[in-house]
Amino acid sequence: MQELKKINGELNAFSNISTSVDKFPFSVKDNICVKNVETTASSKILKGYIPPFNATVVERMLEKKFGFLGKTNMDEFGFGSFGTNNENVARNPFNNEYVAGGSSSGAAIATSILKYHVAIAESTGGSIATPAAFCGVTGFVPTYGTVSRYGLIDYANSLDKIGIMARSIDDVKITYDTIKGPDRYDATCTDNKIGNHDNKKIFIIDQMLDGVEENVRSHFDNFISKMENEGYAIEEKSVDVLDKAIASYYIVAMAEASTNLAKYTGFKYGFKNEQYGHGYNRFFTEARNEFGKEAKRRIVLGTLVRSASVKDKYYIKALKIRRIMLNELNKLLSGGFIASPVMPMLTPRIDDSEKLNPVEVYKMDKLTIPPNLCGLPHVSFPIAYRDSMPIGVQVMTSQFNDYAIMDFAKIWEEKFEYKYRYNIGEL
Amino acid sequence: MEEKDFDRLLEICRLKLDEKEKESVKKDIEDVIKYFEILGTVDTDGIEPAYHPIETMARIREDLEIKCENQKELLDNTKTFRFYVVGPKV
Amino acid sequence: MMRIGLEVHVALPTKTKLFCSCSTSAKEPNTSICPICMGFPGSKPMLNKNALAIALSISNALKCEIPKQISFVRKVYFYPDLPKSYQITQLQRPAGVNGSVSYNKGKVGIRRVQIEEDPAKIIREEEYTLVDFNRSGIPLVEIVTEPDITDEESLRDFISELKSILYYLGVDVEGEFKADLNISLAEQRVEIKNVTGTKNLIDATRYEIERQTSVINSGQKVKPETRSYNAEKMITESSREKESDEEYGYIFEPDLTEYDTDGINLEKPTYASVMAAEYSSKYNVDGTLIKSLIMFDKNALAKLEYAKDKHNMKTVINAVELLSRYKKDFSNEKFEELLKTIEMGAYIDSTVMNKIEIGEKIDINKGVRIEDIDALLNSILSGMKKEEYKDNKKVFNFIVGKVVKEKKANPKLVAERLKAIIDKV
Repeated sequence: MQELKKINGELNAFSNISTSVDKFPFSVKDNICVKNVETTASSKILKGYIPPFNATVVERMLEKKFGFLGKTNMDEFGFGSFGTNNENVARNPFNNEYVAGGSSSGAAIATSILKYHVAIAESTGGSIATPAAFCGVTGFVPTYGTVSRYGLIDYANSLDKIGIMARSIDDVKITYDTIKGPDRYDATCTDNKIGNHDNKKIFIIDQMLDGVEENVRSHFDNFISKMENEGYAIEEKSVDVLDKAIASYYIVAMAEASTNLAKYTGFKYGFKNEQYGHGYNRFFTEARNEFGKEAKRRIVLGTLVRSASVKDKYYIKALKIRRIMLNELNKLLSGGFIASPVMPMLTPRIDDSEKLNPVEVYKMDKLTIPPNLCGLPHVSFPIAYRDSMPIGVQVMTSQFNDYAIMDFAKIWEEKFEYKYRYNIGEL
Repeated sequence: MEEKDFDRLLEICRLKLDEKEKESVKKDIEDVIKYFEILGTVDTDGIEPAYHPIETMARIREDLEIKCENQKELLDNTKTFRFYVVGPKV
Repeated sequence: MMRIGLEVHVALPTKTKLFCSCSTSAKEPNTSICPICMGFPGSKPMLNKNALAIALSISNALKCEIPKQISFVRKVYFYPDLPKSYQITQLQRPAGVNGSVSYNKGKVGIRRVQIEEDPAKIIREEEYTLVDFNRSGIPLVEIVTEPDITDEESLRDFISELKSILYYLGVDVEGEFKADLNISLAEQRVEIKNVTGTKNLIDATRYEIERQTSVINSGQKVKPETRSYNAEKMITESSREKESDEEYGYIFEPDLTEYDTDGINLEKPTYASVMAAEYSSKYNVDGTLIKSLIMFDKNALAKLEYAKDKHNMKTVINAVELLSRYKKDFSNEKFEELLKTIEMGAYIDSTVMNKIEIGEKIDINKGVRIEDIDALLNSILSGMKKEEYKDNKKVFNFIVGKVVKEKKANPKLVAERLKAIIDKV
C-alpha cells in the first residue's frame, strides 16, 4: 500500500485509494458511482458528490467478492485522449514525461503498476484502447449494451461502454462474466448471447492505416505477419465511409454530452454556488464556470450541432452515417477480425500533447472511433516495445462476438513477453 | 460565426468565458465545425438514423412502487430547508 | 376568424413515476425521491409500462393514429425545477397524432398526444426557491389540439368533452387541469402559458379576445408573443420565453429505446355524450339530463346500462338521478329495490335511500308504517256504515286519496291496504 501510494503520487493513477483491501482488488474509473465514495469524473463541478448508490457493475463486482481498491483518474467527463484534461495530469508509468493516454488514464496506469488487479474502465470513443496501448496492458471494450451503464456518469449515452483493463485475458474474461448481463435499471442493456466465432481471417482497412506513422506501422506489420504464421488469412479492404468516422463520432458524442452536462448547475450535488439571490440564470452560469476548457468547448459545440436549424445537417446526418458504417462493418466482420494500430503515432510527450489544437487531437482517434461509434467489441494489447515504451494493436469483431477477440488476444498473449516497469505485488 | 450568435450560444449553454478564453474557444469551434462539413459529401437519402449501435430490446418496468432507501443520503448532497432543496431565485 | 388551440397537460393515474419506482402520491416534501427523479449523475430512466398503456389508451380514445413504435427526446432548458436541465418528452413519434374530439356542435382536431415527465414543484421565496422533487417525474400527457375552437362556448364544450373522455380512462380531472392556450384573431398567434383550471382558461380566453379585438380596432397589429395569465387580476401579461424552439436542441433520448405499441392493451374508450344521445333517441328521454348524469359518473352509466331494458327508462333515469343526488353507490340488487320503490310511486328522500342502502324493506315513503296507514283507514271506516263504502268505487277512491294526502303515502299501497280491510269486514 505504501509503495502504491508513493508511485501514485508520481503518476496520478488514483484519485482516492482504500485503506485496505483483503480480496482480489478492482479499481473503478472515477465516472462510475461507488456508494459513499466521492465520484467526480475528474470534474471540479462534481467535487463533493457522494453517490448514495453503487453502479450496477460495482454491485456485481462486490457480490462476486472482489475488493474495491479505489477510484481512478481520467480526463474530465472522459473528454480527452491523453489523460491531461484534468487537475492532476496522468503520467505514463514507463516514462512520466509521456502521456498515459485517455480518458481511462488511471485505469491503465493502475493495471500497469499492480500485479494483481483488474480495472473497471469506460470507453466512449477510444478511452480504453488508447491508454491500454500507451501503458502496455490489455484493454477490452465489450459490445454496446452488454454491460449495464447504470451508475455511469454519462458522456454520450449511445456510445458509452463500461469495459475492463487487466494484465491477462483470463482476468478480463472473469471480470466480463461478472459484470455483463441485463439490468432492470438500464433500458439499453441487452441479454443477447455472447459468442466466440473465429473465421481465421484478419482484415486490414486502407482508410484506417492511411496516415499511420511509419514507426508504428512497421511494428503493426510485424504483428500481422506473426498472426499469419498462426494460421490467419490476411486481406486488405477499403471502407470509404470510415473517412467520415471522426466527424460523425464527435457530432453524436458532443450533441449527447452537451445535454448530459446541462444538469450541472451548482445546487443539487457536487460544487455548490451559494449565491441563490443572483437569480437562476446567473447562478447556473457562475456554477458552470467550474467546467474545464475541453468540457466547455464540447458543451458549446454539442449545443450548436443539435440546434433546430442545423440539426439535420449535423446531428441527424452523423446518425445516418453511423447506420451506413454499421451496415458495412457488420457485413465485413461476419467474415473475420479487423486489426489496426491503436493510435497513428507513438506515445506523445505531455508537453507536446498540449501544443495540439482540438481538430488535431480529435483526428488522432481515427482508429479507435470506428468500433466505438458502432458498438463493436474490441481489444487493445501490446505488440512491441520501442525505446522502452509499449506499442499496441486494436482488434475488433462483430457485435456480441466478444469471446472471439478474447480468444484471439490469448493466442498473442501466450507468445508475447509482457514488460512492466512497476510490479507492485501484495497490497 | 457572428459575435452575437456566439454570445447567444454561450448564453443558452449557461457559460460565460473571459475575453481571452472566448476568442480561443470561438476559433476552436469554427475549426471543428469546418471539419464537420466533410459529412456533406455522403449521400444519406433513405437512410434511417442509428440512434443506438445495436438493436435494443425496449426494456420496460411494471408500475410497482419501490421506495428508495437512500433519500436521506440524496438530500445530504444538497442544501435543504425544512426538507425542501434550496435552489436559486426565479 | 378567431382560432383557439390548446395544449392540455394531465397527470396519468399510475402508482409510480414515469421513469422510476417512486410513488406518485407522497405528501411531505422530498419523501418520494430517488437518484433518477432527482437527476443524479449516474442514474438512468426506465419507462413505466402502465404509463405507456394509459397514454396510448388516451391517444386511441382521441381517435389518434398510434405509431408502430414510439420514442422519446430530450428537450433542453434551464430552470431550477428541472433536475436534469432537460425534460424527457416526445417529438417525432409520440403516443398519437392526427386525432379528433367530437362534441355536440363541432369537432376539434388533435394534432398530437405526447408522454412527458413533470418537473419538480418550486416555491418562490424572496431570495431563493424551495424545491420539492416529489412531483419530478410524475407521468403527464400533453394533448395538443388544432386551432379549431372558434368561440367561448365551443371551448367550454370541448373541454367538457375532453375531460369526460379522460375521466372514463381513469384520469383525475377534478385536480389541476393545466393548459397552454393559443389564440389568433388575425394572422398573429398569441400563446398564453400555464393556465390552471377550466375557469381560468375561459377567463383568460375572454380577456385575450377582448385585448386582441381592441388592438385590432385601434388599427394596430397584434404582436405574436408568449403571455402568461394572472389569475388574481384576471388579465394576460407579456412574458419572455426562456428558450426558443430553435434552442431546445431536441435529441433522441439515448438512455431509452424505441417501444413497440402493438403489444400494449388499450382500454376501450367511453364517449358519454354519444351514449346520452343514443339513449335519448332510442328511449325518447331527455338527452341533456342523461348527459349531465353520466359525463363524469361511471357508476351512473353502469346503472343505466344494467337497467335500460329491464325497466321503464324514465324510472331508470329517475333512480340514477337519486343515486347521484344522494351520492349513493348501490349494488344492482339495491338498485332494483330502488327502482321498485319508485315504480310503486313512492316519494323518495334521504331516509328512504338510507333504508335501501342498509337493506331495510321499504313499503312506502316518509317512514310511514303500514300499521299507521291501517290505523288511519280503520278510524275513517269506523265513522262510516258498511253499506256506505262496500262496493262503492267513488268512496273507495275518496278514502285512498284522503290517506295518501295525509300520510304522503304510496296510493297503490293505500289502496291495497283498504281493500284488505274492507274484504275482512
